[in-house]
Amino acid sequence: MSKDYIRQREQRTGWLLMLPALLVLLLVYAFPILRAFWLSFFTENLSTNLEPVFSGLDNYELMVGDGRFWQSMRNTAVFTLFTLVFELGLGLIIALTLDQAFRGRGLARTIAILPWALPTALIALAWRWIFNTEFGVWNDMLMRLHLIGNPVNWLGEPFWAMVAVIAADVWKTTSFVAILLLAGLQSISQDLYEAHALDGASPWQSFRQITLPLIAPQIVIAMLFRFAQSFGIFDLIQVMTGGGPGGATETVSIYIYAAVMRYLDFGYGAALVTVTFLVLVAVVAVSWLYISRLRAKTE
Amino acid sequence: MRLSRFLLALVAIAATVLVGAHVWSQQPVTISFLLRAVEADQMQGLAEQFMAENPDIRIEMVRGPNAADAVENLYTTSFLLGDSPYDILFSDVVWIPKFAAAGWLLDLSDRVSEADLADFLPADVAAGLYQGGLYRMPFRSDMGMLYYRTDLLDQVGLAPPETFADLITAAEAIQAQTDVDWGFTWQGLQYEGLVTNFVEIIAGYGGFWIDPTTLEVGLDQPAGVQAVEFMKGLIDQRISPPGVTNYIEEDSLRQFQNGNVAFLRNWPYAWAEANRDGTPVAGKIALKPMVHAAGQQPAACLGGWGFGISSTTPHPEEAWRVVEFFTSPGPLKDFITEFAYVPSRRALFTDPDVLATFPHYEQLLKVAETAVPRPPVGQYAQVSDILQRYLSAAISDQMTAEDAMRAAAGESRRVLGVDG
Amino acid sequence: MTTVPQTAASPQTPDRGIPWGRVLLWLAIAFTVIFSLAPVLWQVLTSFKTNAAITQAPVVYLPGFDQLTLTHYVDLFRLNQFHVYMLNSALVAIVSTVLCLALGSPAAYALARLRIPGEQAILAIVLVVTLFPYILLFLGLLELVRAFGLANNYLALIVPYTAINLPLTILVMRSFFQQLPKDLEDSARVDGYNTVQMLWRIVLPMTLPALVTTGILAFIFAWNEYLFALTFMTRESMKTIPVAAAQLGGTTLFEVPYGPLAAATVVGTLPLVLLVLFFQRRIVQGLTSGSVKG
Repeated sequence: MSKDYIRQREQRTGWLLMLPALLVLLLVYAFPILRAFWLSFFTENLSTNLEPVFSGLDNYELMVGDGRFWQSMRNTAVFTLFTLVFELGLGLIIALTLDQAFRGRGLARTIAILPWALPTALIALAWRWIFNTEFGVWNDMLMRLHLIGNPVNWLGEPFWAMVAVIAADVWKTTSFVAILLLAGLQSISQDLYEAHALDGASPWQSFRQITLPLIAPQIVIAMLFRFAQSFGIFDLIQVMTGGGPGGATETVSIYIYAAVMRYLDFGYGAALVTVTFLVLVAVVAVSWLYISRLRAKTE
Repeated sequence: MRLSRFLLALVAIAATVLVGAHVWSQQPVTISFLLRAVEADQMQGLAEQFMAENPDIRIEMVRGPNAADAVENLYTTSFLLGDSPYDILFSDVVWIPKFAAAGWLLDLSDRVSEADLADFLPADVAAGLYQGGLYRMPFRSDMGMLYYRTDLLDQVGLAPPETFADLITAAEAIQAQTDVDWGFTWQGLQYEGLVTNFVEIIAGYGGFWIDPTTLEVGLDQPAGVQAVEFMKGLIDQRISPPGVTNYIEEDSLRQFQNGNVAFLRNWPYAWAEANRDGTPVAGKIALKPMVHAAGQQPAACLGGWGFGISSTTPHPEEAWRVVEFFTSPGPLKDFITEFAYVPSRRALFTDPDVLATFPHYEQLLKVAETAVPRPPVGQYAQVSDILQRYLSAAISDQMTAEDAMRAAAGESRRVLGVDG
Repeated sequence: MTTVPQTAASPQTPDRGIPWGRVLLWLAIAFTVIFSLAPVLWQVLTSFKTNAAITQAPVVYLPGFDQLTLTHYVDLFRLNQFHVYMLNSALVAIVSTVLCLALGSPAAYALARLRIPGEQAILAIVLVVTLFPYILLFLGLLELVRAFGLANNYLALIVPYTAINLPLTILVMRSFFQQLPKDLEDSARVDGYNTVQMLWRIVLPMTLPALVTTGILAFIFAWNEYLFALTFMTRESMKTIPVAAAQLGGTTLFEVPYGPLAAATVVGTLPLVLLVLFFQRRIVQGLTSGSVKG
């Protein structure tokens, strides 16, 4: 048996082993996205009796003049930005805490993962109840502490509704960030800190000069994951506010869902999917470049 | 050996299927529909009466969420996917064009006679028509109207207002001369209710939202802008409380019930609520058709619920028997008398038994005759959402009336495909 | 000791009166625990309160015995069919998890061990795919479901759930395979096993722990999924827990069923709480090797 023959057989086996998984991925990931791209050049809605009619760039032109699309993009950007900042901050605090040696650390770690593991739709129900105007515990606590005089209509006022969904998402996903950062912290050798302390560095200095640079990859990866998930947020908002009041918490996902499932505007929905996909890919590509440059620097 | 065992198995399976099918055919046919949970409770009595009279049909009412939008979305998803669990669509007036345009409903026109249809309120029948077919049998009707305080009008010596100007004059007089704080409450939150208010006002100015035959959009014509300016003016002149931009029906009614406001735009149910024992306004209120511009006609926005039949139901005949029962005069009369709803059949407004319970239905018929539908276009949900956004922006002072209506008209035209 | 600033400071100030570092640490621990648990505990408490206690102002934090009840739980199973929803969720999650492991592990092995042209590209694609929000897929999947008549069919959920868990499975399993000593496989080859036999008889038994880890993650994702379940299941008898619970939301106009809603949350989350309690370490391990090392 020649070396080439063995290699060929190995390759064939390899492809065979990957084939089923790749087929499923093609069906569930590649088909829908290519299909949306294709459909975005057609008008397929109630005015065409739900039949696709080629219409070129019409859907994209519509989008430019569609105030609701821009509002949903703005809402998505605000939601993503604030959840990311708070999750990173809180996640870092929790990761640093859980990295310490203390009695009951295992239990604390278990508790800290809990929010991440629970179903978002059910958690959204819990937060909707917490933010209830009349009977909600959040208003009650704030009033007992005399921080507010009258109950706040958390989910009924545009500004507060956005604050509420951001708070709920931060709660739900901070633990994911914390888990990733904790893994980074655990891989840092203790000797580094000791040497640094001997050099007379303050804790703050060693945090900035050792901890942060060394967990930078984990931070970037956590942020990348969280960015993609926040950008596509659906279940939390759908259950908590449905995108209301008056579209104040409507993200792109909620709008896409309404365009397809409520308006039966498949062509326009497809164009919205395509644009969302492209924005996402662009951001991921930029961060990818950034990561590889970061890696190149450290190596 | 193997073959015989195989054959035996085959016979056994065939026998099971046959026996199963036989048993199945003895089972009553189940006719299912989704409706808001509150209404499911109310309609349970009628359903049981029907099932007692028709043992071969079982009615299954699935209890849905109470937001009409959410029910619409559930029906849409079910029909869109195919394999709809529902044989009947229990439908708000504004859904019919969408469901009919999508081909999800049976045309009922050959099942019901002209004579029978003539007994219903014309607007209610019209709301079930789409491109020449009849897709909805009216059940209970609904329409917007003006409620007013008779005692306050007497106090300032004015007649009930007919025109927009009358309303403002009366409201200002009452606010100046009595201790009532506000002149007029209505529904200003960004939701379908705001649109129903607007439909009455724009029609009162002689304008229109969308012409269903030409798909022409009239929002940015003078009447449309005047209508929005009237609504803005109510708030600017402090005739309506500033909070009205967050009001739904209950909020505006509560102000009226508590005696804080002279005029109220609301649906028929508000009558019983405001006249309830112990409210300070009980017995001091009256209702009339909505105000309008001088030289124009009053308009009442049509609401209400009815039945359509799914085009994919395996049991269209049984479904029709259910629909026929619910919409026939006897059951309808029982239902509206028990739960104080408005009938879709004209004769019931003047029926002595109904009038004995609800004397005001005679007046209500006058309102019902001014009822106008919301535009019966397939994209109704979409154009309504657009209008809601811009109306809300205008009345909460984020846009001028003219800008808001121009933008709303532009987006609506693009959705309807008539921007050229 | 450990990594963090405040403890790193202790050697310099060994005999200070109050151990500020420890105080700060315990404050941070208390924060972490309260932050993570409070919303869940509040929902648990609500689910056991009577309706009167739920809508009492000011809010009841410590209900008396007469303010506690089990009726909300009883109602879930008596008035609503929560046992059906639980079964649906369990069935869909378990089947898709098994499928996902069965399809994902061979692929992961191929990517870890066999030299395949384009391996890096495939890996990169798999990694990027984990970032896609489900909303991008739902329109195309909706068309597939309609075209194949899969509405109200478990397959309409099982196939997408298998797929959304495949990238993670491939990444996690690949990193496990890479850690496996290569000698084993070499000696198996010497003994005359072909690749498939070797995978089945030798590699699989050794990767059982990794399969459990990945399976738990896949199960959690499948159990929690909302968008596809909301769209592809319209019959009551086919709905999964998250959708059924969310739709319980507005079934009465005048009295929102806070109690049953809270109970539904507890019932729907309990299986996952148990998973986390028993498999905390594995979950952390899986998540980190899936995203960081991949």
